[in-house]
This record gives sequence, C-alpha cells and structure tokens, in this order.
Amino acid sequence: MKAGLFIATAVLYAIACILYLFLLTRGSDKAQRMPGTVFVAALGAHLAFLLLETPSPGELPLSDISQILSVSSFGIGIAFLLASYRFDVTILGAFVVPLSLMLFLASGLGSSYAPVSPRVQSAVLTLHIGANVAGLVAFALAFAAGVAYILQERLLRRRQLSGAFQRLPSLDVLDTMGLRAVLVGFPLLTFGMITGTFWLLRSDGSEFYVSQALGLVAWAIFASVIVLRVAAGWRGRKAALGTMMGFLFTLLVLAGYAVRAAGGSA
Amino acid sequence: MRDFVVVGLSHRTAPVEVREHLAVAPDRLEEELRAIAANGRLDEALLISTCNRVELYATSANPIEASRIAKESLAKRLPAAADDDVLYQERGVDVVRHVFRVASSLDSLVVGEPQILGQVKEAFDAAKGAGTMGTLLGRCFTQAFATAKRVRRETGIAEGTVSVSSIACELAKKIFGNLEGRRTLLVGAGEMGESAARSLRQTGTNLHVLNRSEERARNLAESCGGRAVPYEQLATELADADVVIASTASPKFILTPELMKSVGRSRRHRPLFIIDIAVPRDVDPRVGSMDNVFVYDVDDLQQVAEENLAVRAREAALAEQIIEEELDAFVSWRRSLELAPTIVALRKRFGQVADEELHRTLPRLEGLSPSDHAVLEAMGRSMVNKLLHQPLTQLKAGAGEPDGALLIEAVRRLFAISEEAPSKKETSTEGGTEAKVTRLATAATGRTGESK
Repeated sequence: MKAGLFIATAVLYAIACILYLFLLTRGSDKAQRMPGTVFVAALGAHLAFLLLETPSPGELPLSDISQILSVSSFGIGIAFLLASYRFDVTILGAFVVPLSLMLFLASGLGSSYAPVSPRVQSAVLTLHIGANVAGLVAFALAFAAGVAYILQERLLRRRQLSGAFQRLPSLDVLDTMGLRAVLVGFPLLTFGMITGTFWLLRSDGSEFYVSQALGLVAWAIFASVIVLRVAAGWRGRKAALGTMMGFLFTLLVLAGYAVRAAGGSA
Repeated sequence: MRDFVVVGLSHRTAPVEVREHLAVAPDRLEEELRAIAANGRLDEALLISTCNRVELYATSANPIEASRIAKESLAKRLPAAADDDVLYQERGVDVVRHVFRVASSLDSLVVGEPQILGQVKEAFDAAKGAGTMGTLLGRCFTQAFATAKRVRRETGIAEGTVSVSSIACELAKKIFGNLEGRRTLLVGAGEMGESAARSLRQTGTNLHVLNRSEERARNLAESCGGRAVPYEQLATELADADVVIASTASPKFILTPELMKSVGRSRRHRPLFIIDIAVPRDVDPRVGSMDNVFVYDVDDLQQVAEENLAVRAREAALAEQIIEEELDAFVSWRRSLELAPTIVALRKRFGQVADEELHRTLPRLEGLSPSDHAVLEAMGRSMVNKLLHQPLTQLKAGAGEPDGALLIEAVRRLFAISEEAPSKKETSTEGGTEAKVTRLATAATGRTGESK
C-alpha cells in the first residue's frame, strides 16, 4: 500500500514536471490547466502518503530525515500553489516541481535512514526542524524565481524573444518574488539555527559538524543577499545568483544529515 | 433566388487618396445605409468603412441588378480622377468567404491586426440600427464573428507584435512588469523615437523629452503629454529614467560606458532599458553588457517584427482552412434553408389539388355516409403522400450534395412554386431558436419587401 502510493505520487510528480516544462518551452493557450491539475493530483497522493506515515494523529511526520525531506517536498508544492494563485507565476512550476520531485525521491531512498533516537527528541528539536523546513520551502520558491530570472535575462540579452520568454513573468516580478521569499525564509532559518544550537548544547552532543558548518554558510549567504539588496540596492542577476547559491547550501545541509543518517560519517 | 453581393475597395485596390473619398464616419453609417437601401432594390445592406476599406454588402433577389446598384452608389462618390477599376465586386458564396476573411483579419494590411473585428461589429450594429439587416446578412456576419474568434483561438495569427513601437513596449513590460508610473526619457527627436515614446506614454509611463533644440523638445513634449528638460540635465535624467529612447542625429555615441558608469551609482542597480533608434547609433555597444542595463537597437527591434510577421504568414494558411470549414457550414445551412420551405410548399400545392378535386366530386355522389366521406378524404391524402414520397426523399438526400440546389430549383420550376410565401419584414436575427427558424424560412422564400 505504502510502496504503491509512493510510486503513484512520484509518477504524478514526474508527469506534472514534464507538462510544466512542455508548457514553458512550447506551450499554447489550450493546455494551460493540465500541468496544474496533475500537480494537484500529485499533492493529493503525497498527502495521503504522509497521512500513512504519520505516527499518530496531530503529530507531524518529522521524526527522521526521510520524513523531513518528504514534508519539505510537500510544503514546497503547497507554497507554490498558493503563490501561483496569488501572483501570475504558474509557469514557475517548471522549476519548482522538479525540486519537489527530487526531494520526494530522496525521501524514498531513506527507508534505510536511521530514525532520530528517542533519546534526543524534544520540543526544541521539533521547533528546530519545523522552522528549518518552513525556511527551506521559502528558499525553494526564491530559488525557482532566481532560476527563472537568470533564464529570462539571458533570453532578453540574446534576443530570443519567442517561446519561453513570452511565457515567463517579467524580470521585475521574478526579482520581487525572490526578494520576498528570502525575506520570509531568513528569519525562519535564523530561528532554526538558534533552536538547533540550543538543542545541540543541551543534548551534550558535539555531532553534525559538517551540516552545522554548511548551515552557517547558507545563513551567511542569505544574510549578505539581504544586506546587499536592502542597503546597496542590489537587484537582478547577482541577487538571483546569490539566492540560488544560498538555497544549494541549505540542500547540502539536508544532504549532510541524510548521509549521516544512512550511516555515513558526516 | 436571394443572394449576396459585395462591392467595395480596399488597400489592395485603391490608394489612400481614393479611399478617403468613400470613407463614411461611424456616426453617419446608419444614415448612409438608409439612403443606399432606399435608392436601390436591396433587401439587406451593410456598410463597412475603415481607413483601409469601404465595402457595401447586400442581398437581393436579383443579385446582378443589386450589384450594379451597389456599384453605382459607391462609384458616384469616387474622385473624378479615379477609375471604376478600383472597385471590386463579388457575388454568392465568394461574398461570404470575403466577410469571413475580413473579420478574421486575413485581408488586413497588417494580417492579424485586432481592430478590424471591432470595426466590422460596429458596421453590423449600424446596419441593425438602420433596419437594413435581415436574416441572411445577419447569419453571415454572426458566423463571421464566430469564425474570427475561432481563428484567433486556434491559430497564432495575432501572436507577437509587428511594429517597432509596440515591440519596444512589450519588452519594457517584460522588464518592468507594470509600466504605470515608470519614467521614459526621450533623447533626440527622431520620428521613430517619437512614436515609440508615444506608445510608452500610452502604457502609463511619465515622459521626459530632452533635445538640443529646446523649442523642439517643448513642442514634442506638448504633443505627447510629456515634459521638456534642458539638454544639460542628461546625466540626472539618466539617473531617474527607467526606459531611455535614444534617437538623436549625433554622429558619435551619446550614451558611453563612462557616462553610464557615473550615472550608475545613483541608479543603485535599478534596471534600465535603452532603445537605440538612432542611425548612426547613440549607444556604445559596451553599455549593453553592463549589469541591469538592456540595450536594443533598431535592427534588433525590426528583426523581431519580421520574425513575428513570418509567424503570422504561416498561421494565415491555417486560418484559411478554418474559413473554408466555416464556409461549408454556412453553405449547408443556406441549402437546408431553401429545402424546408420548398418541401412545405410542395406538400401544400399537392394537398390543395386533392382537396379541390374532392370538394368538386363529393356533391355529385349521392347516398354517401359520413364514413364514406372520410374514406375518400383518406384516399386523397394517401395518394398525395405516395406521389410525393420519392421526390421528397430525393430532395432531402440532395440537401448535402453539390447539386442539391439544382434539384430544388427544378422542383420549384416544375411545380410553379414561386416566392409566394407571406412576406414579412425582419430587421433582426434575435429571438428564440424556434422563432429564428421560422423567420429564416420566410426569408428564404419570401422577399423581405422593399426596404423603407
């Protein structure tokens, strides 16, 4: 049952992915609802899958890295849906949905991931994970906006004005979206880092060195992006590249945890 | 039989000096139509008048005569120098095809331009208002509107802009999103620069005009609703602008990397869109590789325009197919229209003969009971039905065939079914389906009467 649902979800994500990419490259007005519909179906299947995972009602399935990846993937999907209803950025599914699919597949690899031992579980840990997952979701949207910005600017400079250029939002919209998402994600990341450090000190652990360091780098990158944007008026390409880099580092943090949970020495 | 005619001229046949003589102002369309309809023996009339075409559409039971009348009423307004040759005329199904093509913007100067559909709709409303619109033209134009929408939806004929000014606007929108409240700076006073500035102004940007000759700047600013600025303020204006249109006659680059760098500090990385319309160019190519600065020159814009035009030409072929499909639908509607009243009239004629003979015979027969009467009546009806069975089957079968109309024509002549159905004037195609069908039927057989 669980395995079947997992496969169904992954397949739906993959189809939505292909449809969004198709919409971006050679979309016509006719097929515009299809990708969204398939994506919502994928999210539905994913939700069912998460409910099966949930240890007991009311508890979030955040007890191991696999579940964290799965919830992150789901959260990105939901946040993107909300964003695309609010703003006219449906086409960004071409960048968001592959991300969702990737995280979801990574969560599946981790049936072998060791769960966090009950010894170290606490409310602080839940707060730490929750805040970081929410931050990751925001950064994922910022990342998608950044990728779209870079692509759109490239098309504009190369004078390739048909196709994708027509369907992507304006540079201004993408830039604003990137800024806002980082502004939402940064406090969450900061809070996540504080609670994480607090928990680490209390549980007398001195583990997770690599992930900690990567997290710090990501935090520093986002902090500089925000400072440069707000104080120095940075915009456009450089800001987008900075945001994308910050997001990649947050992904590396997750990867670090995953490798460690899978028994590697990270 | 009633048929369509069109007489007119367009950008294909006549230069603007001739077209402007025939053009009719929109508010005078109804009046003009009434005059034309009162003059001639036209059942229906519709007049399209745009800057690229003036066309009189009509239907009449005598299309050849109608076409002569229509041509006369247009030709008398031609300037003395112009030849009658500028007027073209079509009859029958070619008229319907022409209407479909015009409404779908296939016959336009710029294929795919969107205004024509609105103009045809205005002409349609004017004809309704003047009471010169009947069922045939009504159905024809209603279907033309549907066809135009289908063409727009199913082909890329209207995709992409094809004028340099509107391409500049579209690009600006792709950079800045909403243009409302942004600032456009026009440097120099070239004609193309002016028209680009005008288009940008219409999208809601503020316009500042900067020119070496201050008087020229002032005039231009006044005519476009912008503000003139002294030329010395170039640097400060560049710092505040979002879109710059460079269109000076300067032989040297005006926007140099050095100037842009010095301006860049106060711009704080805000994106800048520079449209270089000047030849020789005003903008140093190196400026285009600066961060958040996007430079398009006139060649870039023209190339986009040409690409879009090429796409439209390809899509036009698809559109022609759609038009042929819709035309088929119209023609079979027309044919069915003629068939129904023919059948009704045929039945009526045979029934009448049977009834008359029966009533003449019955008084001469004595001692018949009422039930015998009924038997004889039934016999008459049954004979009529049997006799008509084969011809009616053939007529109905012919409805979809190319020679269906011939058959109908033959039957009408053989049994002397003329346009004798009650004549009623219709001025509108509106109403429920039921009512529509009956009205359409009378329109096919009956003459709509001399229009007022």
